[in-house]
Amino acid sequence: MQTALSIAIDAFAYGMALFIICIGLSLTMGLMRVVNLAHGAFAMIAGYIASYAARDLGLGYAVAIFLAIIGTIVISIPLERLLYRRIYGSPELTQVLMTIGITFCVIGITNYFFGPTLKTIPLPGSLTQPVDVGFRTIAGHRLFVVACGLVVAGGLWFLIERTSFGIKLRATVDNAAMADALGVRTQVVYAISFAIAIGLAALGGVVGAEFLPIEPYYALRYMVTFLVVVSVGGAGSILGAVVACLLLGAVDTTGRYLMPEFGNFFFYAAVIAIVCVFPRGFFGRAQ
Amino acid sequence: MKVAKKILGVAVGALLLGSVPAMAETIKVGIIGPFSGPFALQGKNFQAGVEAYMALNGKSVKGHEIEVIYRDLPAANPAQSRALAQELIVKDKVQYLGGVYFTPDAMAITPLLKQANTPLVIFNAATSAIMTQSPFVVRTSFTTAQTTTPLGKIAVERGVKKVISAVSDYGPGVDAENAFKKAFEAAGGKVVEAVRMPLNTTDFSPIMQRVRDSGAEAVFAFLPSGPTTLGFVKAYNETGLKQAGIKFFAPGDLTQESDLPALGDAALGLLTTFHYSVSHDSPENKRFVEAATKAIGSVEQLSFPAVGAFDGMHVIYKMIEATDGKQDAQKAVDAVKGMAWTSPRGPVSIDAETRHITENIYLREVAKGPDGKTYNKEIQTFPNQKDPGLATQ
Amino acid sequence: MQVAAQTPEIATSSSAGYRWARDAVGVTLILAAGLAGYWLFPDNLALLTRVIAVALLVLSIDLVTGYGGVATLGQAALFGAGAYAAGIACVNGVTEPLTLILIGAVAGAVAGLFMGTIMLRAHGLAQLVLSIAIVQLFHEAANKASAYTGGSDGLAGLMVSPLFGAFEFDLWGRTAYLFGLALLIVVFASLRFIVSSPFGMLCRGIKEDPVRIRAMGAFVFPVLLKMFVISGAVAGIGGALAAISTQVVGLDSVSFELSANALVMLVLGGLGTLYGALVGTVIFMGFEHVVSAINPFHWMTMVGALLIGVVLAAPGGLSGLLDRMSGISRRRKEKRT
Repeated sequence: MQTALSIAIDAFAYGMALFIICIGLSLTMGLMRVVNLAHGAFAMIAGYIASYAARDLGLGYAVAIFLAIIGTIVISIPLERLLYRRIYGSPELTQVLMTIGITFCVIGITNYFFGPTLKTIPLPGSLTQPVDVGFRTIAGHRLFVVACGLVVAGGLWFLIERTSFGIKLRATVDNAAMADALGVRTQVVYAISFAIAIGLAALGGVVGAEFLPIEPYYALRYMVTFLVVVSVGGAGSILGAVVACLLLGAVDTTGRYLMPEFGNFFFYAAVIAIVCVFPRGFFGRAQ
Repeated sequence: MKVAKKILGVAVGALLLGSVPAMAETIKVGIIGPFSGPFALQGKNFQAGVEAYMALNGKSVKGHEIEVIYRDLPAANPAQSRALAQELIVKDKVQYLGGVYFTPDAMAITPLLKQANTPLVIFNAATSAIMTQSPFVVRTSFTTAQTTTPLGKIAVERGVKKVISAVSDYGPGVDAENAFKKAFEAAGGKVVEAVRMPLNTTDFSPIMQRVRDSGAEAVFAFLPSGPTTLGFVKAYNETGLKQAGIKFFAPGDLTQESDLPALGDAALGLLTTFHYSVSHDSPENKRFVEAATKAIGSVEQLSFPAVGAFDGMHVIYKMIEATDGKQDAQKAVDAVKGMAWTSPRGPVSIDAETRHITENIYLREVAKGPDGKTYNKEIQTFPNQKDPGLATQ
Repeated sequence: MQVAAQTPEIATSSSAGYRWARDAVGVTLILAAGLAGYWLFPDNLALLTRVIAVALLVLSIDLVTGYGGVATLGQAALFGAGAYAAGIACVNGVTEPLTLILIGAVAGAVAGLFMGTIMLRAHGLAQLVLSIAIVQLFHEAANKASAYTGGSDGLAGLMVSPLFGAFEFDLWGRTAYLFGLALLIVVFASLRFIVSSPFGMLCRGIKEDPVRIRAMGAFVFPVLLKMFVISGAVAGIGGALAAISTQVVGLDSVSFELSANALVMLVLGGLGTLYGALVGTVIFMGFEHVVSAINPFHWMTMVGALLIGVVLAAPGGLSGLLDRMSGISRRRKEKRT
């Protein structure tokens, strides 16, 4: 029982970390219809900025997160203007080609400037302490990740369902031409949603760095995981992403505990089973 | 006149020596390694080792200019490896091949060596079986069995009777598991559980739970360097295993110097066995570290592949010396069989029978230096270790 | 507008003859290019052989993606099935190269049947993810079955006997290359035949609009599954060729990375023409080879820039660019006449 609870906590924390990184990708794919394989590259850029700020400049963790998010969005703006804007509405495979190209470039450039070693983001003392939760200790950082995940999920839900920007966004997604005709500035809506998605990638990259360490190959190493999570949850659905992350996190974590030898078998077999039963993901938008 | 005299002198000298050198020809050495991709750091270390050797020992042997050609092989890919080796041999006319980080890549090159009349000096690829594939292979790195075996005795000496082994589920991991189990059980211990983990895992808390549940007094681990190692060591600390007094043994791949800054204090006290530590205290190593740091840019990036490459170049230089610039793989390999010298890692020799390097294995503990940085502190030496993987075959 | 509507009709009246002529020219061009490669780069034949093996993989993706409309990031599962089947057979005493190719083709086809059965249950992104999951499962299985596959150390020691008992697979790789080139030409010619057959047309129809095809009374699933099996055989041949010419089979031959690279090559060259697959492979691998030889440390940035540049300059792939250019010149000529 104790073991089961303990595994459940680990699975929950891991799932939440995945959620924070993946939800941005889910938004770009579901709402903006861009298969952005470079999503991990942005998370990685944020990780490097945070690491530089916290480790080399000695700034605080919160400041590092903030700088990373702002910095990554700033870097993404010219990319959005020059590159992404050309592929909105392009066939998926063209988008794949473009975003893989961007990923390669980001990896090459990071490798050149920061070297191929692992980068860590030093945590503040309060987060490194193991916290006693009764039957075991858990790293304080994990609780922080869980909290972040819940805040992100709630905030996004509120933004999309309860604000006027959310209404405009949903209108643009359903019918861009019509929304445009009705006076919604769709270009602006796209730009803002893109920035939000990138900002979430950045947050996820920094906060999730304890689970997925930052190094130049990050962008490719976890690309498959991100893509799988998003499609299992259903692109564009917040609830779907939450469920997918928690479920896949649970499968992965329990699989690793019970039969680590077949860890990957469990994970991908689960993916195949889920996708066969829910071809659009758990809460994918019917098209 | 003077020039003519010189040429005459050289010619006469050459005749006296009984061999005519190929008139100060440039000798090319092809180095294949992962210079990009996820293992780029190891490739950089290859290059640093080669450049350090050439900086310290000159760029020519017996008047033969030496030119190094680097070829990138980002990940294990035998087809690409063979294509690169073939191009180096046939097109670039290299006389020596060196480098090679992954086992399958080495396996793909070995069938070419005989026909190409080219020796291959392996700077890393650490599976015993490679050496049996071709008589023209010499290796200056280590094998996983070689670095792991002393750990069995050490664990028992430190009062550990029950160990759980946790390794990544791939070739080197399985090699490490087997080598440790054999040595540890021979010394009287017992491996209570052997866990093989998926290679791409970075969150190890569930594994740590398993370690805890197994009731073992120590964990033996092997994982590839980089994110996986970082995740594992972190989880070992965070889940309180360290505080609970469960010891941690691993081959030195886990605490390689280039990963230490990222591991930080989490790595303190880990016990690893390996053939080389950047902190090794000897004049040879001081010279090497200085030269290699200059080549790689920062001492933090320096780790074991550099010394494999450094000694590999030493072997290649000796081969060139022995063949005097002529392409003769058999003669070259014969010349270095049994050769002994002092490497930055300590005294080493090439085993005449297996062509694999015989070297000291050191037990190291991760400790904090006076500058606040962590390093591998050598605390015990196991002299002249051969590769047990080959010995048993 | 009327003119535009009439052109296809005119084209169809002479289309059969025209198509045959075009295919004959195309195959001759490939042969010529292949032989030119043999004379121009006699020292790089191992690389060129590798290009051919990968080209077969890319062709096989073109069959399912370009003709069947099924995007896949897992085609290396079929390539690897062929490579490992040939490799294991070779280690166990079947050393005749043509037999090995046949074994590879059969293994690839069986794997294609399996993969198609699963993948065709879904559409779009879900399908893509299924393909990834399948290739990862294959990869894991090959890693696990190290007693047969050598696991991550690779399956080494393939001693392939000389082709027709006379031509050895040696250091210079002439036999391997010419053998590969011959295979490529045979496969390519057969594929041109298949894709222009009624079956191929049906596949194209399904890609354009599966609902209509269903309404016409055709069954979509078996048609696409058949395409998957053919594609598997082609990928399997590529895998077997790689195994024979390299003499080692590594886990990379069933990797997601290889699948993704191959898809990138296909999109780079252009979908649905078969020629695009060849063009894309040659350009991508050639570029990678040249750039990584010039600067082994930073070629990734250059390759990335190439991909971005292609999307910006030629969204339809490079062969699309050629088509467009020839289209422009043809239109110009038409204007003049």
